Amino acid sequence: MFKNEELEINLGPQHPSTHGVLRVKLRLDGETIVKCTPVIGYLHRGVEKICENKTFFQGQVWTDRMDYVASVSNNLGWAESVEKLFGIQVPRRAHYVRTMMTELNRISSHLLWLGTHALDIGAMTVFLYAFREREEILNCFESFCGARLTTTAFRIGGLREDIPPGFIKQVQSFQDRFLNCIDEYETLLTENRIWKKRTIGIAPIQADECIAFGVTGPVLRAAGVNYDVRKAFPYAAYAEMDFEVPTRTEGDTYARYLVRLEEFRQSHRIIQQCIDGLPEGNVMAKIPKVLKSEVNEIYHPIEAPKGELGYYLVGEKGAQNPYRFHVRGPSFVNLQVLPQMTEGRLLADVIAAIGTLDVVLGEVDR
Amino acid sequence: MMTPVQQVVMAVIQITVLISIILLIVPFMTFAERKVIGYIQVRLGATRQAGGIRGFAAGINKLSWAMGRIPVLSFFRGLPVFAADGLKLLLKEDIVPDRADRFVFVIAPVVCMIPAFATFAVICFYPGTLFVFPDQFPIVGGLPFTGFLTDISVGLLYIMAVGSIGVYGIVLGGWASNSKYPLLGGLRSAAQIISYEIPLSLSLLAAVVLSGTLNFRELSIYLAGVPTVTAAGAVVQMPLIAAIPLFFGFFFYLTCGFAETNRVPFDLAEAETELVSGFHTEYTGMKFAWFMLAEYANMMAVSAIAAGFFLGGHYLLPFGLQRFVPDSIPFLAQPSLLFFFGKVFFLLFVFLWVRATLPRYRYDQLMSVGWKWLIPVTLVNLLVAAAIRFTF
Repeated sequence: MFKNEELEINLGPQHPSTHGVLRVKLRLDGETIVKCTPVIGYLHRGVEKICENKTFFQGQVWTDRMDYVASVSNNLGWAESVEKLFGIQVPRRAHYVRTMMTELNRISSHLLWLGTHALDIGAMTVFLYAFREREEILNCFESFCGARLTTTAFRIGGLREDIPPGFIKQVQSFQDRFLNCIDEYETLLTENRIWKKRTIGIAPIQADECIAFGVTGPVLRAAGVNYDVRKAFPYAAYAEMDFEVPTRTEGDTYARYLVRLEEFRQSHRIIQQCIDGLPEGNVMAKIPKVLKSEVNEIYHPIEAPKGELGYYLVGEKGAQNPYRFHVRGPSFVNLQVLPQMTEGRLLADVIAAIGTLDVVLGEVDR
Repeated sequence: MMTPVQQVVMAVIQITVLISIILLIVPFMTFAERKVIGYIQVRLGATRQAGGIRGFAAGINKLSWAMGRIPVLSFFRGLPVFAADGLKLLLKEDIVPDRADRFVFVIAPVVCMIPAFATFAVICFYPGTLFVFPDQFPIVGGLPFTGFLTDISVGLLYIMAVGSIGVYGIVLGGWASNSKYPLLGGLRSAAQIISYEIPLSLSLLAAVVLSGTLNFRELSIYLAGVPTVTAAGAVVQMPLIAAIPLFFGFFFYLTCGFAETNRVPFDLAEAETELVSGFHTEYTGMKFAWFMLAEYANMMAVSAIAAGFFLGGHYLLPFGLQRFVPDSIPFLAQPSLLFFFGKVFFLLFVFLWVRATLPRYRYDQLMSVGWKWLIPVTLVNLLVAAAIRFTF
């Protein structure tokens, strides 16, 4: 008469808190997760294959559409990878502007994470506060390159044009305000008892597991591993910047929250240094109108907001397009630890775990 | 002495007035929610809604924005949206899912809504006659219109009994939908409401122990600290020290009240980000609106009870401090509808305020807060109240 049955529910792909089109199959015993299976691929467009059929200049546009929240980082990765493949030297001023834009993009990506993560846990107001600041960053992007989301901000060899007049002033006004805004988010969340209860010890992942899964970014750093591509393999102008890599040892949701909040402050520092030390000069290197590659292969990692974003490019002799293009997307790799984080825990923790991993499905599925 | 006909007619008039007031305030709450939360969250839409771009009003709006102030005019702008909201709910297609249990599915919102409204039958808005019908009126001429519907001696017991029926609506609605998310929402809600009923009752019991009555009107007068004359002719007044258990009891009651009404931070039953929409995921149109009405009516009932018991009801000062108001200022010393509704509206505002501020508890944490924390402290509070009653 009485029997126990596990309930299988389908979280997504149309669910308010799966951040896009992630589908998670859950087996529940009461409210406890017995098995968690992420199902991905709903947003697959074949970006890698498409880029193999486009010229190097055209391929850049497609990188925007992967992690659409951090399109500037993706652009930087592509531009630098191609430059590495062809051995192009980029002017120093372009490096500085690229660094500044990428850090602004890191802040905007983290703001989106903060807002949606807090909204998932039930704190509604942080979401709108975070978007208020994100709006300002997007305005900066708009005045820089005309687009807000899919920016295609950089060109191979530098920048299409120098920064517009008034741009530095615009960024500076954001800079002046932003530190107070971080404090505002912190007053709402950091010492909030319910927030701490919902995040401390939730969805933990230890350093050795992170390394085994190849997890990078804030998730790895919150587990105590000090690995940041900006420090380990400096690119753009990061070698000249003075900043710290925040780490925590707990490896839980709260630690990841604190790490990302500290990254806000570090990005703020980097942007300030870019503004203060912006060198004069050209923004575009001399490059041929048509790029024809040699037989060559490169792997170029950058630190995207979500973790290590690596581009692997193989050149073919005389071709205008890459022979092989592969993306090591941080969201895709980080998502793989979701079952480890959630099995044996409660339904509400799955939501917190998806939020704290900060995945963008455009990049997971590509 | 009223004739039976007069009694019935008076009851109908009073009920109609009461229901109209509730039905006016409750939908208005959704509008207030949009506005209050809009201002707290600096939402761009809700704070500027429907502001004209021409004319005098627009001038004032622009001037106040230029001065960095929120324009007064925009406080009531957006009322058409509120009307459209109601109209939309009425006109929406009424879907009953194919595999749903039809009868239970239809009855559930009603089961939810009726107790929420029935609670108001014993709530005393004003402890006396508001006005007397002039003699010219047929049937009711010369009869008093009181500030309460009924004045039964077991008022509080009635409130708790009726209030606990509402949970059936949620459980049945969740179950009858024959869908997984509503089922989880319904079950969560059942466990939650039943758990929180205990500390809720315990915190109210402290007030009952102090006053020694279950009648809402007598309770609120006694707990306001006003001297009253008993039937035996003795003058009783709440001892001042009783303000301590009342003060703490208020916060315990309010916490449980949030849980009882399924509001943030205890809105697990309809946790949007986990369970899509909880128990009412499958409901549309008016059936959904009934759940909404029930939720807001419950909020109002909780606010009214908290105001009546702990915040001094129709008197000015809360927690039995009314004795410090000098009799020389009759407006402040006398009970007034104004004070009561002022407190109710303030508490309703607190509901919205909290919603904009706090995250949501997890299911097991909610249970442990209820059982391991709230029940012990309300028990201690009850003991303190009993000790005060015994000593003074």
